[in-house]
Amino acid sequence: MSGGVLKGRGLMKGTAKGKALLSEKAFTFAHGVDPSSGDVTDVRSDIRGSNVKGSVLFYPFGKGSTTASAWFLETVRNGNHPAAIVTEGVDLSAVIGSVMAGVIYGKEVPVISGVPRSAYLAIRQGEVVSVDGESGEVTRKK
Amino acid sequence: MLHLDASQERLLRGEGGEAKQFAMEIVAKVGDAVGADSLVPIKSAHILAHYSSLHDAGVDVLERFASSGGKFAVPTSVDPASIDLENWESFGIPEEYARQQFRLCDAYARLGGMRCWTCVQYQVCNFPRKGETVAWAESSAVVFANSVLGVRSNKITAGMDVACAVLGMTPRFGMLDDENRVAKVAFKVALDSFSDLDFRSVGFFMGRRAASRVPVLLGLPGDVTTDQLKHLGAAAAAAGPVTMIHFPGVTPGTKTLADATGGLEVEEIEVTRSDLESVESDLDQTAETPDLVALGVPHLSINELGEVAKMLEGRKLKRGVRMYVYTSSQAYDMAERTGIRESIERSGARISHSTDAEISPLKKLGFDVVMTNSAKMAEIVSSEGEIKMRYCSQKEIIERVTG
Repeated sequence: MSGGVLKGRGLMKGTAKGKALLSEKAFTFAHGVDPSSGDVTDVRSDIRGSNVKGSVLFYPFGKGSTTASAWFLETVRNGNHPAAIVTEGVDLSAVIGSVMAGVIYGKEVPVISGVPRSAYLAIRQGEVVSVDGESGEVTRKK
Repeated sequence: MLHLDASQERLLRGEGGEAKQFAMEIVAKVGDAVGADSLVPIKSAHILAHYSSLHDAGVDVLERFASSGGKFAVPTSVDPASIDLENWESFGIPEEYARQQFRLCDAYARLGGMRCWTCVQYQVCNFPRKGETVAWAESSAVVFANSVLGVRSNKITAGMDVACAVLGMTPRFGMLDDENRVAKVAFKVALDSFSDLDFRSVGFFMGRRAASRVPVLLGLPGDVTTDQLKHLGAAAAAAGPVTMIHFPGVTPGTKTLADATGGLEVEEIEVTRSDLESVESDLDQTAETPDLVALGVPHLSINELGEVAKMLEGRKLKRGVRMYVYTSSQAYDMAERTGIRESIERSGARISHSTDAEISPLKKLGFDVVMTNSAKMAEIVSSEGEIKMRYCSQKEIIERVTG
Protein backbone atom coordinates (compact mmCIF):
# COMPACT_ATOMS: atom_id res chain seq x y z
CA MET A 1 0.00 0.00 0.00
CA SER A 2 1.55 3.30 -1.04
CA GLY A 3 -1.28 5.67 -0.19
CA GLY A 4 -4.66 5.60 1.42
CA VAL A 5 -6.66 6.68 4.40
CA LEU A 6 -7.13 5.04 7.78
CA LYS A 7 -10.39 5.94 9.42
CA GLY A 8 -10.85 6.17 13.16
CA ARG A 9 -12.89 8.28 15.55
CA GLY A 10 -11.73 11.84 16.15
CA LEU A 11 -11.61 12.60 19.89
CA MET A 12 -9.67 15.85 19.87
CA LYS A 13 -9.94 18.21 16.92
CA GLY A 14 -7.18 19.81 14.91
CA THR A 15 -4.95 18.84 12.03
CA ALA A 16 -1.32 17.79 12.07
CA LYS A 17 1.38 16.36 9.88
CA GLY A 18 4.42 14.46 11.00
CA LYS A 19 6.58 11.39 10.82
CA ALA A 20 4.85 8.24 12.01
CA LEU A 21 6.24 6.79 15.24
CA LEU A 22 4.69 3.36 15.63
CA SER A 23 4.58 1.31 18.82
CA GLU A 24 3.08 -2.16 18.87
CA LYS A 25 2.87 -2.22 22.64
CA ALA A 26 0.76 -0.49 25.28
CA PHE A 27 2.24 2.95 25.89
CA THR A 28 2.41 5.49 28.70
CA PHE A 29 3.88 8.95 29.16
CA ALA A 30 4.07 8.34 32.93
CA HIS A 31 7.66 7.36 33.69
CA GLY A 32 7.73 6.42 30.00
CA VAL A 33 8.59 9.67 28.22
CA ASP A 34 11.06 12.26 29.49
CA PRO A 35 9.08 15.52 29.25
CA SER A 36 12.24 17.60 29.08
CA SER A 37 13.37 15.93 25.83
CA GLY A 38 10.50 13.89 24.42
CA ASP A 39 12.66 10.74 24.58
CA VAL A 40 10.85 7.45 25.15
CA THR A 41 12.45 5.99 28.29
CA ASP A 42 10.09 3.14 29.24
CA VAL A 43 12.25 0.01 29.41
CA ARG A 44 9.26 -2.07 28.32
CA SER A 45 8.49 0.03 25.23
CA ASP A 46 9.41 -1.22 21.76
CA ILE A 47 10.21 2.37 20.72
CA ARG A 48 12.50 3.15 23.64
CA GLY A 49 15.17 5.60 22.51
CA SER A 50 12.91 7.24 19.92
CA ASN A 51 11.71 10.81 20.37
CA VAL A 52 8.03 11.74 20.24
CA LYS A 53 8.50 15.44 19.43
CA GLY A 54 6.57 16.45 16.32
CA SER A 55 5.70 12.85 15.46
CA VAL A 56 2.36 11.28 14.78
CA LEU A 57 2.47 8.77 17.62
CA PHE A 58 0.64 5.46 17.17
CA TYR A 59 0.06 2.93 19.95
CA PRO A 60 -2.65 0.35 20.57
CA PHE A 61 -3.60 1.19 24.18
CA GLY A 62 -2.57 3.30 27.12
CA LYS A 63 -1.32 1.61 30.25
CA GLY A 64 -0.13 2.18 33.78
CA SER A 65 -0.41 5.13 36.09
CA THR A 66 -3.32 7.57 36.03
CA THR A 67 -0.73 10.35 36.13
CA ALA A 68 0.02 9.84 32.44
CA SER A 69 -2.13 12.85 31.46
CA ALA A 70 0.08 15.07 33.64
CA TRP A 71 3.28 13.71 32.10
CA PHE A 72 1.79 14.30 28.67
CA LEU A 73 0.83 17.87 29.60
CA GLU A 74 4.37 18.57 30.84
CA THR A 75 5.68 17.30 27.52
CA VAL A 76 3.39 19.84 25.82
CA ARG A 77 4.50 22.62 28.17
CA ASN A 78 8.08 21.95 27.10
CA GLY A 79 7.15 21.82 23.43
CA ASN A 80 8.32 18.22 23.10
CA HIS A 81 4.94 16.67 22.42
CA PRO A 82 3.80 14.61 19.45
CA ALA A 83 1.92 16.46 16.70
CA ALA A 84 -0.92 13.98 17.07
CA ILE A 85 -1.80 10.71 18.82
CA VAL A 86 -3.54 7.77 17.15
CA THR A 87 -4.64 4.73 19.14
CA GLU A 88 -6.73 1.60 18.83
CA GLY A 89 -8.54 1.81 22.20
CA VAL A 90 -9.43 5.14 23.82
CA ASP A 91 -6.51 6.40 25.94
CA LEU A 92 -8.11 8.79 28.43
CA SER A 93 -4.74 10.22 29.41
CA ALA A 94 -4.21 11.50 25.88
CA VAL A 95 -7.69 13.02 25.75
CA ILE A 96 -7.42 14.71 29.16
CA GLY A 97 -3.86 15.87 28.52
CA SER A 98 -4.94 17.38 25.23
CA VAL A 99 -7.96 19.22 26.72
CA MET A 100 -5.77 20.69 29.44
CA ALA A 101 -3.11 21.63 26.90
CA GLY A 102 -5.75 23.52 24.95
CA VAL A 103 -7.04 25.46 27.94
CA ILE A 104 -3.72 26.15 29.67
CA TYR A 105 -1.26 26.48 26.79
CA GLY A 106 -3.53 26.99 23.78
CA LYS A 107 -2.09 23.86 22.15
CA GLU A 108 -4.69 21.13 21.68
CA VAL A 109 -3.15 17.96 20.27
CA PRO A 110 -5.35 16.01 17.82
CA VAL A 111 -6.27 12.57 19.18
CA ILE A 112 -7.85 9.76 17.20
CA SER A 113 -8.90 6.34 18.47
CA GLY A 114 -10.37 3.30 16.79
CA VAL A 115 -7.49 2.66 14.37
CA PRO A 116 -6.51 -0.99 14.87
CA ARG A 117 -2.87 -1.89 15.30
CA SER A 118 -3.12 -4.28 12.36
CA ALA A 119 -4.17 -1.34 10.16
CA TYR A 120 -1.60 1.23 11.26
CA LEU A 121 1.30 -1.21 11.08
CA ALA A 122 1.01 -0.95 7.30
CA ILE A 123 2.57 2.49 7.70
CA ARG A 124 6.37 2.64 7.65
CA GLN A 125 8.26 3.91 10.67
CA GLY A 126 9.14 7.55 9.88
CA GLU A 127 6.76 7.87 6.95
CA VAL A 128 5.04 11.28 6.82
CA VAL A 129 1.31 11.12 7.51
CA SER A 130 -1.33 13.74 8.12
CA VAL A 131 -4.06 13.59 10.70
CA ASP A 132 -7.47 15.22 10.93
CA GLY A 133 -8.87 15.05 14.44
CA GLU A 134 -12.27 16.24 13.24
CA SER A 135 -12.92 13.53 10.66
CA GLY A 136 -10.79 10.91 12.43
CA GLU A 137 -8.70 10.32 9.30
CA VAL A 138 -5.03 9.45 8.99
CA THR A 139 -3.80 10.05 5.44
CA ARG A 140 -0.67 8.54 3.90
CA LYS A 141 1.13 10.47 1.20
CA LYS A 142 1.55 8.97 -2.23
CA MET B 1 -23.48 10.44 22.90
CA LEU B 2 -23.09 12.44 26.10
CA HIS B 3 -26.19 14.37 27.03
CA LEU B 4 -25.78 17.46 29.19
CA ASP B 5 -28.83 18.84 30.94
CA ALA B 6 -29.63 22.55 30.87
CA SER B 7 -27.71 23.42 34.04
CA GLN B 8 -24.64 21.49 32.84
CA GLU B 9 -24.83 23.27 29.48
CA ARG B 10 -24.78 26.58 31.33
CA LEU B 11 -21.61 25.56 33.14
CA LEU B 12 -20.00 24.66 29.82
CA ARG B 13 -20.89 28.13 28.49
CA GLY B 14 -19.15 29.69 31.48
CA GLU B 15 -22.20 30.84 33.39
CA GLY B 16 -20.91 29.15 36.54
CA GLY B 17 -17.52 30.83 36.34
CA GLU B 18 -14.23 30.05 34.70
CA ALA B 19 -13.16 27.15 36.94
CA LYS B 20 -16.38 25.22 36.39
CA GLN B 21 -16.23 25.93 32.67
CA PHE B 22 -12.71 24.50 32.43
CA ALA B 23 -13.80 21.53 34.56
CA MET B 24 -16.85 20.93 32.40
CA GLU B 25 -14.76 21.07 29.21
CA ILE B 26 -12.55 18.29 30.55
CA VAL B 27 -15.38 16.17 31.93
CA ALA B 28 -17.57 16.54 28.85
CA LYS B 29 -14.72 15.62 26.46
CA VAL B 30 -13.85 12.58 28.50
CA GLY B 31 -17.49 11.61 28.89
CA ASP B 32 -17.87 11.77 25.14
CA ALA B 33 -14.65 9.82 24.51
CA VAL B 34 -15.68 6.95 26.78
CA GLY B 35 -19.23 6.79 25.47
CA ALA B 36 -20.95 7.99 28.66
CA ASP B 37 -24.58 9.06 28.26
CA SER B 38 -24.73 11.44 31.23
CA LEU B 39 -22.95 13.01 34.17
CA VAL B 40 -23.87 11.79 37.65
CA PRO B 41 -23.30 13.33 41.10
CA ILE B 42 -20.43 12.08 43.29
CA LYS B 43 -20.15 11.90 47.08
CA SER B 44 -16.42 12.52 47.30
CA ALA B 45 -13.28 13.00 45.24
CA HIS B 46 -9.64 12.09 45.64
CA ILE B 47 -7.02 13.88 43.57
CA LEU B 48 -3.31 13.78 42.76
CA ALA B 49 -1.07 16.74 43.61
CA HIS B 50 2.48 15.40 43.78
CA TYR B 51 5.14 17.30 41.91
CA SER B 52 7.08 14.26 40.68
CA SER B 53 4.24 13.30 38.34
CA LEU B 54 2.42 16.59 37.83
CA HIS B 55 5.58 18.57 37.04
CA ASP B 56 5.42 22.31 36.37
CA ALA B 57 2.44 21.79 34.07
CA GLY B 58 0.46 20.34 36.98
CA VAL B 59 1.28 23.42 39.03
CA ASP B 60 -0.11 25.53 36.18
CA VAL B 61 -3.31 23.46 36.10
CA LEU B 62 -4.02 23.46 39.82
CA GLU B 63 -3.18 27.17 40.15
CA ARG B 64 -5.43 27.92 37.19
CA PHE B 65 -8.33 26.16 38.92
CA ALA B 66 -7.61 27.94 42.21
CA SER B 67 -7.01 31.41 40.79
CA SER B 68 -10.16 31.30 38.68
CA GLY B 69 -12.29 30.90 41.79
CA GLY B 70 -12.60 27.13 41.84
CA LYS B 71 -13.81 25.34 44.97
CA PHE B 72 -14.27 21.63 45.44
CA ALA B 73 -18.00 20.85 45.35
CA VAL B 74 -17.63 17.64 47.42
CA PRO B 75 -15.32 16.43 50.23
CA THR B 76 -11.97 15.95 48.52
CA SER B 77 -8.85 14.18 49.74
CA VAL B 78 -5.39 14.16 48.20
CA ASP B 79 -2.68 11.60 47.44
CA PRO B 80 0.78 11.83 49.01
CA ALA B 81 3.10 14.70 48.13
CA SER B 82 6.55 14.16 46.60
CA ILE B 83 8.22 15.32 49.82
CA ASP B 84 7.70 14.87 53.53
CA LEU B 85 5.81 18.13 54.06
CA GLU B 86 7.24 18.74 57.53
CA ASN B 87 10.69 17.17 57.47
CA TRP B 88 11.68 17.54 53.81
CA GLU B 89 14.94 19.34 54.52
CA SER B 90 16.23 16.52 56.70
CA PHE B 91 15.58 14.08 53.86
CA GLY B 92 17.84 16.09 51.55
CA ILE B 93 15.14 17.45 49.23
CA PRO B 94 16.41 20.38 47.11
CA GLU B 95 14.69 23.65 47.96
CA GLU B 96 13.61 24.39 44.40
CA TYR B 97 11.86 21.02 44.24
CA ALA B 98 10.13 21.60 47.60
CA ARG B 99 8.98 25.04 46.45
CA GLN B 100 7.08 23.58 43.49
CA GLN B 101 5.46 20.95 45.72
CA PHE B 102 4.36 23.68 48.12
CA ARG B 103 2.79 25.61 45.23
CA LEU B 104 0.67 22.51 44.58
CA CYS B 105 -0.15 22.30 48.30
CA ASP B 106 -1.23 25.95 48.41
CA ALA B 107 -3.44 25.68 45.33
CA TYR B 108 -5.01 22.50 46.72
CA ALA B 109 -5.72 24.23 50.04
CA ARG B 110 -7.26 27.22 48.26
CA LEU B 111 -9.58 24.81 46.43
CA GLY B 112 -10.78 23.63 49.84
CA GLY B 113 -9.40 20.09 49.97
CA MET B 114 -8.75 17.96 53.07
CA ARG B 115 -5.01 18.13 53.71
CA CYS B 116 -4.50 14.43 54.36
CA TRP B 117 -1.72 13.68 51.79
CA THR B 118 -2.23 9.94 51.77
CA CYS B 119 -3.02 7.16 49.28
CA VAL B 120 -5.09 5.34 51.94
CA GLN B 121 -7.69 8.07 52.40
CA TYR B 122 -10.21 5.29 53.09
CA GLN B 123 -8.28 4.51 56.30
CA VAL B 124 -7.94 8.17 57.25
CA CYS B 125 -10.57 10.72 56.21
CA ASN B 126 -12.66 9.80 53.17
CA PHE B 127 -15.47 7.41 54.10
CA PRO B 128 -18.14 6.93 51.43
CA ARG B 129 -20.99 4.52 52.12
CA LYS B 130 -21.63 1.24 50.31
CA GLY B 131 -23.29 1.82 46.94
CA GLU B 132 -22.25 5.48 46.65
CA THR B 133 -20.46 6.88 43.61
CA VAL B 134 -17.13 8.70 43.97
CA ALA B 135 -14.44 9.99 41.60
CA TRP B 136 -11.10 8.90 42.96
CA ALA B 137 -7.67 8.96 41.42
CA GLU B 138 -5.02 6.61 42.88
CA SER B 139 -5.51 3.17 41.38
CA SER B 140 -4.95 1.25 44.63
CA ALA B 141 -7.64 3.26 46.41
CA VAL B 142 -10.06 2.77 43.53
CA VAL B 143 -9.61 -1.01 43.71
CA PHE B 144 -10.17 -0.86 47.48
CA ALA B 145 -13.31 1.25 47.03
CA ASN B 146 -14.90 -1.04 44.47
CA SER B 147 -13.75 -4.34 45.98
CA VAL B 148 -13.85 -3.90 49.75
CA LEU B 149 -16.14 -0.92 50.40
CA GLY B 150 -18.69 -1.62 47.67
CA VAL B 151 -18.30 1.98 46.53
CA ARG B 152 -18.36 2.80 42.80
CA SER B 153 -15.44 4.54 41.20
CA ASN B 154 -13.56 4.56 37.95
CA LYS B 155 -9.81 5.14 37.97
CA ILE B 156 -9.86 8.90 37.48
CA THR B 157 -6.86 10.32 35.66
CA ALA B 158 -4.82 13.39 36.71
CA GLY B 159 -6.58 16.60 35.66
CA MET B 160 -9.91 14.82 35.35
CA ASP B 161 -9.77 14.25 39.12
CA VAL B 162 -9.75 17.98 39.89
CA ALA B 163 -12.43 18.63 37.27
CA CYS B 164 -14.78 16.06 38.85
CA ALA B 165 -14.09 17.46 42.32
CA VAL B 166 -14.85 21.03 41.24
CA LEU B 167 -18.07 19.97 39.51
CA GLY B 168 -19.17 17.31 42.01
CA MET B 169 -19.94 15.15 38.99
CA THR B 170 -18.41 12.40 36.88
CA PRO B 171 -19.36 10.75 33.57
CA ARG B 172 -21.37 7.56 34.00
CA PHE B 173 -19.33 4.72 32.49
CA GLY B 174 -17.21 1.74 33.43
CA MET B 175 -17.42 0.71 37.08
CA LEU B 176 -20.47 2.90 37.69
CA ASP B 177 -22.60 0.47 35.68
CA ASP B 178 -23.68 -2.89 37.15
CA GLU B 179 -22.90 -4.86 34.00
CA ASN B 180 -19.23 -3.84 34.12
CA ARG B 181 -18.84 -5.05 37.71
CA VAL B 182 -19.47 -8.70 36.88
CA ALA B 183 -16.44 -10.98 37.22
CA LYS B 184 -15.23 -12.43 33.90
CA VAL B 185 -12.31 -14.50 35.15
CA ALA B 186 -11.67 -16.50 38.36
CA PHE B 187 -8.33 -16.92 40.12
CA LYS B 188 -7.87 -19.72 42.67
CA VAL B 189 -4.98 -19.49 45.06
CA ALA B 190 -3.67 -22.77 46.44
CA LEU B 191 -1.20 -21.88 49.20
CA ASP B 192 -0.65 -23.33 52.66
CA SER B 193 0.29 -19.99 54.12
CA PHE B 194 0.59 -16.37 53.01
CA SER B 195 3.52 -14.07 53.71
CA ASP B 196 3.20 -10.31 53.30
CA LEU B 197 4.88 -10.73 49.91
CA ASP B 198 2.43 -13.42 48.80
CA PHE B 199 -0.57 -11.09 49.03
CA ARG B 200 1.23 -8.62 46.79
CA SER B 201 2.49 -11.25 44.36
CA VAL B 202 -0.99 -12.78 44.04
CA GLY B 203 -2.35 -9.33 43.23
CA PHE B 204 0.40 -8.68 40.72
CA PHE B 205 -0.04 -12.05 38.99
CA MET B 206 -3.77 -11.44 38.76
CA GLY B 207 -3.30 -7.91 37.42
CA ARG B 208 -1.12 -9.22 34.62
CA ARG B 209 -3.40 -12.10 33.65
CA ALA B 210 -6.83 -10.54 34.12
CA ALA B 211 -6.07 -7.70 31.68
CA SER B 212 -9.30 -5.70 31.34
CA ARG B 213 -11.54 -8.42 32.82
CA VAL B 214 -12.90 -8.01 36.36
CA PRO B 215 -11.44 -10.90 38.39
CA VAL B 216 -12.84 -12.89 41.31
CA LEU B 217 -10.26 -14.25 43.75
CA LEU B 218 -10.80 -17.46 45.69
CA GLY B 219 -8.61 -19.12 48.29
CA LEU B 220 -7.58 -16.17 50.46
CA PRO B 221 -7.42 -16.90 54.21
CA GLY B 222 -10.74 -16.32 55.99
CA ASP B 223 -9.10 -13.85 58.37
CA VAL B 224 -7.55 -11.70 55.62
CA THR B 225 -7.17 -8.10 56.84
CA THR B 226 -8.07 -4.84 55.16
CA ASP B 227 -4.35 -4.01 55.14
CA GLN B 228 -3.56 -7.21 53.25
CA LEU B 229 -6.37 -6.49 50.78
CA LYS B 230 -5.02 -2.95 50.36
CA HIS B 231 -1.60 -4.24 49.29
CA LEU B 232 -3.04 -6.99 47.11
CA GLY B 233 -5.25 -4.53 45.26
CA ALA B 234 -2.42 -2.02 44.85
CA ALA B 235 -0.24 -4.68 43.24
CA ALA B 236 -3.05 -5.78 40.92
CA ALA B 237 -3.70 -2.21 39.81
CA ALA B 238 -0.01 -1.59 39.16
CA ALA B 239 0.27 -4.71 37.02
CA GLY B 240 -2.73 -4.09 34.77
CA PRO B 241 -5.95 -2.15 34.24
CA VAL B 242 -7.76 -3.84 37.16
CA THR B 243 -10.27 -1.55 38.90
CA MET B 244 -12.25 -4.11 40.92
CA ILE B 245 -11.65 -7.54 42.40
CA HIS B 246 -14.43 -9.68 43.84
CA PHE B 247 -13.38 -11.17 47.18
CA PRO B 248 -16.16 -13.63 48.08
CA GLY B 249 -17.13 -13.04 51.71
CA VAL B 250 -15.63 -9.55 51.69
CA THR B 251 -16.98 -7.65 48.69
CA PRO B 252 -20.49 -6.36 49.44
CA GLY B 253 -23.00 -8.46 47.52
CA THR B 254 -20.47 -11.21 46.75
CA LYS B 255 -20.69 -14.24 49.02
CA THR B 256 -19.84 -16.87 46.42
CA LEU B 257 -18.16 -17.34 43.05
CA ALA B 258 -21.60 -17.36 41.41
CA ASP B 259 -22.46 -13.98 42.99
CA ALA B 260 -19.35 -12.53 41.39
CA THR B 261 -19.90 -13.95 37.91
CA GLY B 262 -23.66 -13.61 37.84
CA GLY B 263 -23.83 -17.41 37.64
CA LEU B 264 -22.03 -17.51 34.30
CA GLU B 265 -19.09 -19.78 33.63
CA VAL B 266 -15.75 -18.04 33.42
CA GLU B 267 -12.17 -19.03 32.79
CA GLU B 268 -10.51 -20.33 35.97
CA ILE B 269 -6.82 -19.72 36.57
CA GLU B 270 -4.90 -21.52 39.32
CA VAL B 271 -2.34 -19.46 41.19
CA THR B 272 0.44 -21.70 42.45
CA ARG B 273 3.61 -21.15 44.44
CA SER B 274 5.62 -21.28 41.22
CA ASP B 275 3.50 -18.48 39.69
CA LEU B 276 4.34 -16.32 42.70
CA GLU B 277 8.02 -17.20 42.39
CA SER B 278 8.00 -16.03 38.81
CA VAL B 279 6.48 -12.71 39.90
CA GLU B 280 9.22 -12.42 42.50
CA SER B 281 12.00 -13.09 40.02
CA ASP B 282 10.44 -10.63 37.58
CA LEU B 283 10.33 -7.81 40.17
CA ASP B 284 13.53 -8.64 42.08
CA GLN B 285 15.92 -7.40 39.45
CA THR B 286 19.34 -7.52 41.02
CA ALA B 287 21.38 -9.17 43.73
CA GLU B 288 23.04 -5.86 44.60
CA THR B 289 22.92 -4.51 48.14
CA PRO B 290 20.26 -1.81 48.47
CA ASP B 291 21.09 1.74 49.49
CA LEU B 292 17.44 2.36 50.41
CA VAL B 293 14.76 0.16 51.89
CA ALA B 294 11.23 1.51 51.37
CA LEU B 295 8.19 0.17 53.21
CA GLY B 296 4.75 1.69 52.87
CA VAL B 297 3.67 1.91 49.24
CA PRO B 298 0.71 2.20 49.77
CA HIS B 299 0.94 3.89 53.19
CA LEU B 300 1.13 1.61 56.23
CA SER B 301 -1.64 1.77 58.82
CA ILE B 302 -0.91 2.23 62.52
CA ASN B 303 -1.25 -1.56 62.96
CA GLU B 304 1.34 -2.20 60.29
CA LEU B 305 3.68 0.36 61.84
CA GLY B 306 3.32 -1.58 65.10
CA GLU B 307 4.35 -4.80 63.31
CA VAL B 308 7.40 -3.11 61.79
CA ALA B 309 8.37 -1.80 65.23
CA LYS B 310 8.12 -5.29 66.67
CA MET B 311 10.27 -6.79 63.91
CA LEU B 312 12.91 -4.08 64.37
CA GLU B 313 13.12 -4.56 68.14
CA GLY B 314 16.72 -4.94 69.29
CA ARG B 315 18.06 -4.51 65.73
CA LYS B 316 20.24 -1.82 64.18
CA LEU B 317 20.34 -0.77 60.55
CA LYS B 318 23.61 -1.71 58.85
CA ARG B 319 25.93 1.04 57.60
CA GLY B 320 25.39 2.33 54.08
CA VAL B 321 21.67 1.62 53.92
CA ARG B 322 18.73 3.84 54.77
CA MET B 323 15.29 2.59 55.67
CA TYR B 324 12.23 4.79 55.22
CA VAL B 325 8.81 3.70 56.41
CA TYR B 326 5.99 5.65 54.77
CA THR B 327 2.65 6.43 56.35
CA SER B 328 -0.11 9.01 56.59
CA SER B 329 0.30 12.02 58.87
CA GLN B 330 -2.55 10.67 60.98
CA ALA B 331 -0.94 7.26 61.57
CA TYR B 332 2.35 9.07 62.16
CA ASP B 333 0.74 11.10 64.94
CA MET B 334 -0.61 7.94 66.54
CA ALA B 335 2.80 6.29 66.24
CA GLU B 336 4.29 9.32 67.96
CA ARG B 337 1.84 9.18 70.85
CA THR B 338 2.19 5.44 71.37
CA GLY B 339 5.97 5.18 71.21
CA ILE B 340 5.91 3.23 67.93
CA ARG B 341 7.81 5.95 66.10
CA GLU B 342 10.52 5.96 68.69
CA SER B 343 10.93 2.21 68.66
CA ILE B 344 11.15 2.13 64.84
CA GLU B 345 13.63 5.00 64.72
CA ARG B 346 15.80 3.53 67.47
CA SER B 347 16.92 0.99 64.84
CA GLY B 348 18.14 3.79 62.59
CA ALA B 349 15.10 3.60 60.29
CA ARG B 350 12.95 6.70 59.77
CA ILE B 351 9.24 7.19 59.44
CA SER B 352 8.25 9.63 56.74
CA HIS B 353 4.73 10.93 56.37
CA SER B 354 2.63 12.75 53.75
CA THR B 355 4.80 11.28 50.96
CA ASP B 356 5.99 7.91 49.70
CA ALA B 357 9.01 6.48 47.96
CA GLU B 358 7.38 5.81 44.60
CA ILE B 359 6.73 9.52 44.06
CA SER B 360 9.90 10.85 45.69
CA PRO B 361 12.82 12.14 43.63
CA LEU B 362 14.85 9.00 44.45
CA LYS B 363 17.52 9.59 41.83
CA LYS B 364 18.01 13.19 42.93
CA LEU B 365 18.50 11.89 46.46
CA GLY B 366 21.28 9.63 45.22
CA PHE B 367 19.66 6.21 45.50
CA ASP B 368 20.51 3.49 42.97
CA VAL B 369 19.21 0.22 44.41
CA VAL B 370 15.95 0.19 46.34
CA MET B 371 14.53 -2.77 48.25
CA THR B 372 10.82 -3.04 49.00
CA ASN B 373 8.01 -5.49 49.62
CA SER B 374 5.74 -3.34 47.40
CA ALA B 375 5.08 -4.93 44.02
CA LYS B 376 3.51 -1.64 42.97
CA MET B 377 6.63 0.32 43.71
CA ALA B 378 8.94 -2.29 42.16
CA GLU B 379 6.91 -2.24 38.94
CA ILE B 380 6.52 1.52 38.58
CA VAL B 381 9.98 2.64 39.59
CA SER B 382 11.78 -0.03 37.55
CA SER B 383 9.98 1.00 34.35
CA GLU B 384 12.07 4.17 34.20
CA GLY B 385 15.23 2.09 34.12
CA GLU B 386 17.19 4.46 36.38
CA ILE B 387 16.84 2.64 39.67
CA LYS B 388 17.21 -1.08 40.24
CA MET B 389 14.55 -2.65 42.39
CA ARG B 390 14.74 -5.49 44.86
CA TYR B 391 11.51 -7.22 45.87
CA CYS B 392 11.55 -9.25 49.11
CA SER B 393 9.30 -9.97 52.09
CA GLN B 394 9.42 -7.64 55.07
CA LYS B 395 10.99 -10.37 57.18
CA GLU B 396 13.74 -11.02 54.65
CA ILE B 397 14.37 -7.30 54.21
CA ILE B 398 14.79 -6.70 57.92
CA GLU B 399 17.05 -9.73 58.30
CA ARG B 400 19.23 -8.55 55.43
CA VAL B 401 19.64 -4.88 56.31
CA THR B 402 19.76 -4.97 60.09
CA GLY B 403 22.01 -6.70 62.57
